[in-house]
Amino acid sequence: MKQYIVRRVGYSLLSLFLLSLTIFLFVRLTGDPTSLLLEPGASPADIENLRHQLGLDRPLWVQYWRFVESFITGDLGLSFYYRTPVLDLYFERLPNSLLLAAVAMGFSLVIGIPSGVLAAVHVGGFWDNAGKIFTLLGLSLPSFFIGLVMILFFTVYLGWLPSSGSGTAWHLVMPAVTLGWYFAAAHMRMTRSSMLEVLGSEYVKLARLKGLPEGLVIGKHAFKNALIPVITLAGINLVVMINVAVVVETIFAWPGIGRLLYEGIAFRDFPIVQTVVVFGGSMIILVNLLVDILYAMIDPRIRLES
Amino acid sequence: MVESGMVGASGHSDLTRRGLLALSALGIVAAGQRAALAASPDGQLTWAVHVSLAPTWFDPAETPGIITPFMLLYAMHDAMVKPMPGNSAEPCLAESWKMAPDGLSYQFALREGAKFHDGEPVTAEDVKFSFERYRGTSAPLMKERVSAVEAVDPRTVRFVLKEPWPDFITFYSSATGAGWIVPKKYVEKVGEEGFKKAPVGAGPYRFVSFTPGVELVFEAFEDYWRKKPTVKRLVFKVIPEEGTRLAALKRGEVDLAYSIRGELAEELRKTPGLALKAVVIQAPFWLYFADQWDSKSPWHDQRVREAARLAIDYKAVSEALTLGYSPITNSIIPENFAFYWKPPPAAYDPAKARQLLAAAGHGKGFDAGDYYCDASYANVSEAIINYLQEAGIRLKLRPLERAAFYSSYSQKKLKNVIQGASGAFGNTATRLAAFVVKGGAYAYGNYPDIDELFDQQAKELDVDKRTALLHRAQQIIHERSVYAPIWQLAFLNGVGKRVGESGLGLIKGHAYSAPYEDVAIKT
Repeated sequence: MKQYIVRRVGYSLLSLFLLSLTIFLFVRLTGDPTSLLLEPGASPADIENLRHQLGLDRPLWVQYWRFVESFITGDLGLSFYYRTPVLDLYFERLPNSLLLAAVAMGFSLVIGIPSGVLAAVHVGGFWDNAGKIFTLLGLSLPSFFIGLVMILFFTVYLGWLPSSGSGTAWHLVMPAVTLGWYFAAAHMRMTRSSMLEVLGSEYVKLARLKGLPEGLVIGKHAFKNALIPVITLAGINLVVMINVAVVVETIFAWPGIGRLLYEGIAFRDFPIVQTVVVFGGSMIILVNLLVDILYAMIDPRIRLES
Repeated sequence: MVESGMVGASGHSDLTRRGLLALSALGIVAAGQRAALAASPDGQLTWAVHVSLAPTWFDPAETPGIITPFMLLYAMHDAMVKPMPGNSAEPCLAESWKMAPDGLSYQFALREGAKFHDGEPVTAEDVKFSFERYRGTSAPLMKERVSAVEAVDPRTVRFVLKEPWPDFITFYSSATGAGWIVPKKYVEKVGEEGFKKAPVGAGPYRFVSFTPGVELVFEAFEDYWRKKPTVKRLVFKVIPEEGTRLAALKRGEVDLAYSIRGELAEELRKTPGLALKAVVIQAPFWLYFADQWDSKSPWHDQRVREAARLAIDYKAVSEALTLGYSPITNSIIPENFAFYWKPPPAAYDPAKARQLLAAAGHGKGFDAGDYYCDASYANVSEAIINYLQEAGIRLKLRPLERAAFYSSYSQKKLKNVIQGASGAFGNTATRLAAFVVKGGAYAYGNYPDIDELFDQQAKELDVDKRTALLHRAQQIIHERSVYAPIWQLAFLNGVGKRVGESGLGLIKGHAYSAPYEDVAIKT
């Protein structure tokens, strides 16, 4: 088991290294930040001065080493755009992203799970078809479209909700629904297929043969077991929601990590992009590592096979 | 030659004072004047801002070479000399200035009664400290040319130059943040980071709070020397998406919304109770014929370049994309810049364009290569390419992402035709230095006669002679069709029904509301 964990940790560190290298090189391929931080027409001396201030005049390997070193020492440097410590910016925004992700996740589970159960219980019926339309729209409509339509309807026409910003529970409604819809659709599909699998299993058949009421069969015997993969998926989705709500946070001016990433990309703010991507990637790598270890603890075949 | 600072605020206030005295003697305005002096700032105005506000913009010492920080500087801070309504270099914290006859020093007299938000007076030591602390755009250039800053007495400060520099006031007043004054004692007390967290300035509004990514709040500083602001609180809310900004304006969540473009601007114009306010900023757009110095290129022929200029209906492009608010100035120099030469109006004459092409041996048109642009303005490019195509000039659009475009442009990697723009501060000479003369960061070639005129003006201290030299250089650029200027961009904004004076467009070329002490709520 120890050897298994060591190997998994090694793979995780390798993934982290590859991620850091990829993001470091990719952001630098997209252009020179000085051309966005200065007006076109700025003097060559100003451009050179800024490149020096930002450390962009150093060799690439020196810049990469400084980047790796910053993660080891915890001093992630200053944002090119804000000129304030990147770590401060990240942790100022993180609570907002956590709040938005938690509410959006709550919405996606409250909508996705019951509708998935209904669709599975009434396969081919009205609820199943309604669920299919709901998931099709949720998975295919881009969030910028949903967001803008919601603003138009609930803010401009009805005047019920604030268009953007943060501060009250009302500010959370539209961003959470927009973000949550996509994931509600995914959770609904997962619940449906998981329920169908469980409903076809021998022990559910036995429960029915014993004459248990249908509600009890579905609610107690089938639902609980069908929920396991849905919870696993929701856990991973929560990490994704925290880190990738770029469009939703930008449309609704929600001050989270997604918007920070958007700003970082827009201004080629390398320290911000690198930090957000590496932190987000680290969260996903960590969750996968924990899942791997938990699986191995539960199922000895996994650790023996590997 | 003495350049006097008494032309700005002092001149106006003299007149006003005389007028007021006369009226007061008649007993007409005395009561109203007392009431106005007693009136306290009231109410709140809220702006929906299109970009994230950075704390670095709270500190004039960090002023980068972009226009956005001036949105906040005009509220929180004040400058010795700065662009104001009707005057591109108005004496503010400096009551007046004079240049020594040899051009080697500038002496400023500080305004009496000017105070920082903490109640301390603005002194010569603060001016010296602010200049020496300045590290923003063009800081190396300014420090290289200024040999010393002397606080002669608490209200007099002298800048000593290494050699005469005709553009000193341009750089000190508007092209950099070096002339914006911070309180020395306070900065030394709280430190650099402390200053960014709780900035203190000498502007009409004091800092109240900043929530990164959410909003910035200011409160009126009633002791501001120029006038007492009428609005109590100013709030700047960051809303990056323009559709959301318009929705917030429609719902009355904000009173002003910056940057509403295209169809949304049309929608804004149609909405009852809202007003569209266009501000022409110091950002001309142009086509640059990068191959004009290559004798094998069709663009080498002046007739071809002229044909391209005549083939484009600039007015129609402005109508279609900025509702006609972007003026067709026919120049790469902003109209509000010093030494600007007004060229003849741009002509749209497709028949003459075809004639010129035929005369140049391209009667059946020609493949003119690539057309590079910043992808965010590809809609302008598409319209222009269509017009050129109609005349027989066939170009392939190559939009590049903004950072990549400007990097390639300055590294001189682009060819054929480039659609460029610049909103950089400065004057005509600084623009020519970057875009026209030999060695310019964005100049792909040069003309010796223009270089000669440029070199002469750089040493010329006589304003009239310098103006003549720079006018001649602009004239040659126009005659040779070195560029095909498109327009001077208008920045379209939304104004809500509560706003009495938005401050938009009061200062020529300035993109944002200013001066804030003039902003008012409708009564």
